Amino acid sequence: MADGVVAAALVPGLPHLLAGEPAPSWKGLAEAARTLGERLRSARVDTLLWMSTQWFTVLGHQFQVDPHPRGTRVDENWYGYDFGRADYDLRVDAELAQRWADETEAAGLQARRTRYDGFPIDTGTVVTAALLDPHRQASLAMVSCNLYAGAEAMERIGAAGARAAGILGRRVAVVAVSGLSSGLIQRWINPDEDAVDPGHDRWNRHVLDLLAAGRLDEVMRLREQYAAEAQVDSQLRALAFLAGTGALSGPAEVLEYGPVWGTGAAVIGWTD
Amino acid sequence: MGGRAQLRRATVDTGGPSQRAPAAEPDAGRQVPPTGPGTGRIVAGYLAPHPPHLIYAENPPQNEPRSTGGWDTLRWGYEELRRRLSAGGRPDVLIIHAPHWITMVGHHVNCVPHPRGLSVEPIFPHLFRYHYDFRTDVELAEAIVEEADAAGLVANAMRDERVRVDYATIGALHLVNPAWDIPVVSLSANNNPYYYSSASLDQMEVLGAATRRAIERSGRRAVLLASNTLSHLHWDVEPELPEDMAAEHPYNHHQYAWDMKLLDAIRSGPTSALRPLIEDHIEATYAETKSGSLTWMLAAMGWPQAPGDVLAYGTVIGTGNAVVEWLPDGEVGRG
Repeated sequence: MADGVVAAALVPGLPHLLAGEPAPSWKGLAEAARTLGERLRSARVDTLLWMSTQWFTVLGHQFQVDPHPRGTRVDENWYGYDFGRADYDLRVDAELAQRWADETEAAGLQARRTRYDGFPIDTGTVVTAALLDPHRQASLAMVSCNLYAGAEAMERIGAAGARAAGILGRRVAVVAVSGLSSGLIQRWINPDEDAVDPGHDRWNRHVLDLLAAGRLDEVMRLREQYAAEAQVDSQLRALAFLAGTGALSGPAEVLEYGPVWGTGAAVIGWTD
Repeated sequence: MGGRAQLRRATVDTGGPSQRAPAAEPDAGRQVPPTGPGTGRIVAGYLAPHPPHLIYAENPPQNEPRSTGGWDTLRWGYEELRRRLSAGGRPDVLIIHAPHWITMVGHHVNCVPHPRGLSVEPIFPHLFRYHYDFRTDVELAEAIVEEADAAGLVANAMRDERVRVDYATIGALHLVNPAWDIPVVSLSANNNPYYYSSASLDQMEVLGAATRRAIERSGRRAVLLASNTLSHLHWDVEPELPEDMAAEHPYNHHQYAWDMKLLDAIRSGPTSALRPLIEDHIEATYAETKSGSLTWMLAAMGWPQAPGDVLAYGTVIGTGNAVVEWLPDGEVGRG
């Protein structure tokens, strides 16, 4: 692990994990996310370096510097379900976010600092923060996912975050909120109907096996093909972001994998 | 959180009094055909792009950021649109399809009677923090859901007033009617930018026809708004002064040339020629019409024979934007 970055996690951000009566896969993913959260807290991290593909932007890379975003997130698609609505009350490490933005600029990328009342925190962040750290023991330092940033730029964003944490002496874990294959089912379903397209499923399982074997380079080599053939969430650039921090040096532990409304979702940790 | 996950369907409440906001009186002295159940019609359709920069440049009281202006030619195009809208007799309703109310499953219609709140745009929060407050034509909104559902689409009536109204909906509506004194129906775009999936344009044809049937049975005089940018490649950084027009120009000549190719076809008519060209233009320029708003509108209008009238073209952070008017066949122009 890099200095200051003691663990990494990739977790899905669809809100179904918070359903009152979840599908078996949603329940398993939620329990896995809670387990992973316990491990991160056991590692005594101060802050979670955080990137959600659902906070997508197009101009530069945005950093949340509001120390206390709070409100109610009502998802514009899932509002009709119990899991489509959630209150949030986040604790942001604004000092680290500011330093991360500084380091991003020093790396030649445009950083934009975001602090506005009423700013809508994305569903992925609200859901995953509630699962990983329900009692807000760690703070968050959040960056957006620029739709047009390539994997190399995402790596540099991750690296800038690790540098910023090292400079400030923070003990951090890095978290990417992202799904795997998309293939979202285009109709309202009952939870027990949920399934991943077989072709997407084969791809997802292959990639997860490679990560569990510690073959990150092979996954990065296959990333574009996987993204195209399995319609992967944000082209799996989340993995590039995580890798940029230096925290993916060993085998991953795949705690859970399953469908969420047809998409592939996994809870993956690098916590050794 | 907690509670039972309900299986949802596109059900519509049919009992109780109508929640439709009162329609504004048409301009005195104008000859406006009578309206009533079964006599509704579309009186105009507009390509009405929504970059938040245009709202920012207008400095309306509802928007918190202040600017020194910019993007004037596009805003002049909207001035002309507003003149024509007024000259034609005020419509009963503005119906808008916008690409930034993104729904992953199905086509949603806002059935909240009185949407209001603060819309802070997560991508452009420095430009767009808008306090919105408008009325929905709930009766017509519900009728569109019913017609779409009957046509086999996944459709849903959105009734949660806490769902934030997006900037593409607000931006185009403000520019078309800054007084907000005409009731609105707002439709979502069934696509998803962070996955690859998107609704096919075929579905937008079906949704357009469903919208037309709902209008006809409602008796409303409706104006349709397709809230789409054209070519959609843009800068990924911004000048220190967002409205610095020295930095504003097409992303590249390829994007510009394809926008002109589409606009030439629009100006020549008939709109049926646009059917394949819209798809070619999307392929060539990543056009935002991929979200389906333009196809929805032209399909609702029955792909009119008459050419479109291009009121303005300009770029915003490199994207191509045009304000265009179409009148349905048989409608008299106001240009």
